[in-house]
Amino acid sequence: MDFELTQDQKLIQDMVRRFAINELEPVAAEIDRTREFPWQNIKKMAELGLLGVIVPEQYGGAGLDFLSLALVIEEISKVCASTGVIVAVNNSLVAYPILNFGNGDQHKKYLPLLAKAEKIGAIGLTEPNAGSDVAAFESTAVLEGDHYRLNGTKRFITNGREAGVCIVFAYTDKSKGHRGMSAFVVEDGTPGFSKGEHEDLMGLRSTGNCELIFEDARVPKENLLGEEGQGFKIAMHTLDVSRIDIGAQAVGIAQGALDAAVKYAKERKAFGQSISEFQFIQGMLAEMATQIMAARLLVYHAAVVKDRGVPRFSKESSMAKWFASETCMNAVRMAVQVHGGYGYSKDYAVERFYRDAKVMEIYEGTSEIQKVVIARSLLQGT
Amino acid sequence: MEIVVCVKRVPQTEEAEVIVDSSGADIVKDRLTYDMNESDVYALEEAVLLKEKFGGTVTLVSIGPQETDDVLRMGLAKGGDVALRLWDPCFVHSDGYVTASILARAMKEISFDLVLTGCIATDDGRSQVGGMLAGLLGIPHASYVTRVEIEERTVTAHSELEAGLIQVNRMPMPALLTIQTGINEPRYASLISIKRATSKEIRVLTMDDLGLEEATVGGMGSTTRIMKLAPPEVGKRAEILKGTPEQVSDTLTEILKKKGMI
Amino acid sequence: MSAISVLAEHRRGELRDVTFEMLVRGRELAEKRGAALIAILLGHQVDNFAQRLSEYADRVILVDHPDLIHFNPEIYRKVLTSLTKNGRPVLVLIGHTAFGVDVAPGLSVDLNLALVTDCVDIRFEGDQLIAVRQMYGGKLNAEVSFAEGEGLATIRPGSCAVRPLGLHGEIVKADYPAGEPPRREFVHYIEAPPGEVDITQADVIVAVGRGLKEKANLSIVEELASSLGGVLACSRPIVDAGWLPKDRQVGSSGKTVKPKLYIAVGISGAFQHVTGMKGSDTIIAINKDPNAPVFNEADYGIVEDLFKVVPVLKGKIVELRSS
Repeated sequence: MDFELTQDQKLIQDMVRRFAINELEPVAAEIDRTREFPWQNIKKMAELGLLGVIVPEQYGGAGLDFLSLALVIEEISKVCASTGVIVAVNNSLVAYPILNFGNGDQHKKYLPLLAKAEKIGAIGLTEPNAGSDVAAFESTAVLEGDHYRLNGTKRFITNGREAGVCIVFAYTDKSKGHRGMSAFVVEDGTPGFSKGEHEDLMGLRSTGNCELIFEDARVPKENLLGEEGQGFKIAMHTLDVSRIDIGAQAVGIAQGALDAAVKYAKERKAFGQSISEFQFIQGMLAEMATQIMAARLLVYHAAVVKDRGVPRFSKESSMAKWFASETCMNAVRMAVQVHGGYGYSKDYAVERFYRDAKVMEIYEGTSEIQKVVIARSLLQGT
Repeated sequence: MEIVVCVKRVPQTEEAEVIVDSSGADIVKDRLTYDMNESDVYALEEAVLLKEKFGGTVTLVSIGPQETDDVLRMGLAKGGDVALRLWDPCFVHSDGYVTASILARAMKEISFDLVLTGCIATDDGRSQVGGMLAGLLGIPHASYVTRVEIEERTVTAHSELEAGLIQVNRMPMPALLTIQTGINEPRYASLISIKRATSKEIRVLTMDDLGLEEATVGGMGSTTRIMKLAPPEVGKRAEILKGTPEQVSDTLTEILKKKGMI
Repeated sequence: MSAISVLAEHRRGELRDVTFEMLVRGRELAEKRGAALIAILLGHQVDNFAQRLSEYADRVILVDHPDLIHFNPEIYRKVLTSLTKNGRPVLVLIGHTAFGVDVAPGLSVDLNLALVTDCVDIRFEGDQLIAVRQMYGGKLNAEVSFAEGEGLATIRPGSCAVRPLGLHGEIVKADYPAGEPPRREFVHYIEAPPGEVDITQADVIVAVGRGLKEKANLSIVEELASSLGGVLACSRPIVDAGWLPKDRQVGSSGKTVKPKLYIAVGISGAFQHVTGMKGSDTIIAINKDPNAPVFNEADYGIVEDLFKVVPVLKGKIVELRSS
């Protein structure tokens, strides 16, 4: 078993790391404060191929694999988790389902826009009254001649305010239960489609998070993604893939927190010596480092399984996402603790990491849902 | 246009502790990170910009063991087309002249229009290999170049002198330019160009390939030799103010007040 | 009798200081070695330079030709090589300047004379010739030997004090050698454009370096500068990154300043920068690296994270000013 990254992958990691340090870090605190969507950096990243890592080259993407995408998201998230999730959503929650379930026309129409960040993608699953309980979604889509009439509200949508291409899930036939759900590509400017206010969230504040509101929105029937009734399957498969990336994001945040804690511990003195000499501090750093390494390997493993073409990898990606988000929460808590009072101040990056971390356990399927997925897989013998 | 860029892999010592090793004539390297020499990065970018404008190829050349491939690979990902790594264990401790000779020997087989090098290496700070290489290749050169203009076979180079004064010189190709930092904005390698870089070649040339003899390379072939490394003598040492930021600020403010600065 | 030669550097009607520094240093070397100290002057209509140099050398060799109006390394190499027909000096000193770096490496190849650059000291020990130079951004000094006890050295400007030598060297004219015209041609000089602020006129300068990390942090240091009624300046990397214009750069390729107060914030103190500010009356350095070479130049130092200290310092100054 070779745990080494290939030379390409190391180059990718190196490039993104430099970009993150030089371009993303300087503005990370500022955009968190102002909640401004980092368009300038997104455009620069698009030129480097980072917004379409897994989009085939013929559509303007980099044509790389999911391990490469995980590396990209991890490096970005070490310094700016908001930018990390913007990139993750664009790639695996929007470009990927279009690539995997869409037809040739949809590929040609949407993938280049997403890869070049001419439009940003968003995915509308969560509703005000239903998050984990996908079956309880209320959004509906009724076919009327050449278009679907889409009604419903999606809540807490990352990239929402800025999104030009949204994948929206709605029931085309409630009587069929989850087999009655369909997925649609809805572009900005669609009549009846509007966006809600910019959410004021604890963390990941620069992603333009908002509601997507559909009031008799006219979605052309060509915008149906896959077939009617395939929506649930599309959503579940897409989440299996994107959980790898959210795992990568969580690992990135955790690593950023650890790096900051190590640096601080070396510089800070108390009781006449560097606090890095104290066993309690060393203990925290050791725990963080070990858990992060384990989380990272779970994430990479899930990515490799996906890249190998294994059809079902829900267990692997849920394990990665669950463990990485728990690790992230532990890491940011300990990192703030190592910083003492300074960790509570907005002058220090760990304060932001702490706020950014919490949603790792909630979105893309809560930690509880992840455990259900893992358990089911075990019990089914897969 | 065929452009050769000479690059060097150097330790990043600006924010690291630099310790003399047990030999007394070298430094402890195991905790250092390495990267492409800063002004070489600008030289490479300049070469790639010229290639994009005029067509042609960019060849990277470096002297070093296997680890140097990291730097060459990144150079290929940033727009280099071919890389040459020159190495033999005998090459260690080559001084500036020997370094330039090895490079010159490798370049005997390459046809080139322009050679770009960084103007100074951040480890030894010698600023001599570029000029020596030009001398050995028998081509005109300019140093500390902050702007390059090409018209047909003529290169016009802006060289930075002291106090911001620029000297503009013109010379025919083939020519060599040592490039100053700030001449351009070096790019990041895009994912696609990293992908493409895998299929680009890093050719390794050994001492035999280059037709060099042991006696003329490395420490043996060098006429200058580092005998001893040591931290600089503590000449005029600053009075270090001690205490918390509050305390040192108080002390310093007092000092400034006494000097009539406030 | 062997000779120690010093190549005089001049530009646009002025002999540059490094020339005299090298002659003073050369004198000590020549005395120790029992050699003659020779100043080599290449130029056109520079008799006045020759006169001045004769006070600092045993002999001045003057080559006068219109081709030598503007410095050209190819021509210099051709002329200097032809001068060695009368005997090779045991040591040739050239300034470690833009011109010096342009000519010394090629000359070393032409004459097959070993070259050590940017020397802060150079001495004979018996037959051995040893130069001292900095490495790793000034963190270490290296003693470098010339295997054959002879060589070419470029000397760091400002590394030797100038004093009158009271010599009366004879001025000897040497012929300008015939030969191929140079391939490189001088076109013109371009002056540095005047910026909006002339930092050389300021009494108080607060300069920033790479320790600043991000452009947005300039405001922290700007506030410190304002609180003292001073101007903001910087080291080269800040200009390369485009955070401040070139007219704010202090250093060998920027400006030389001598304010009453110079505060270096997040600057490591590499020679290229220090050379531009070491004439300041009072130098204060703030850097979190206790081994930063800047502390060798400063009068007072604070070893601390600039982000922790600068705002506090500014606050105290403002407070004091308003009371």
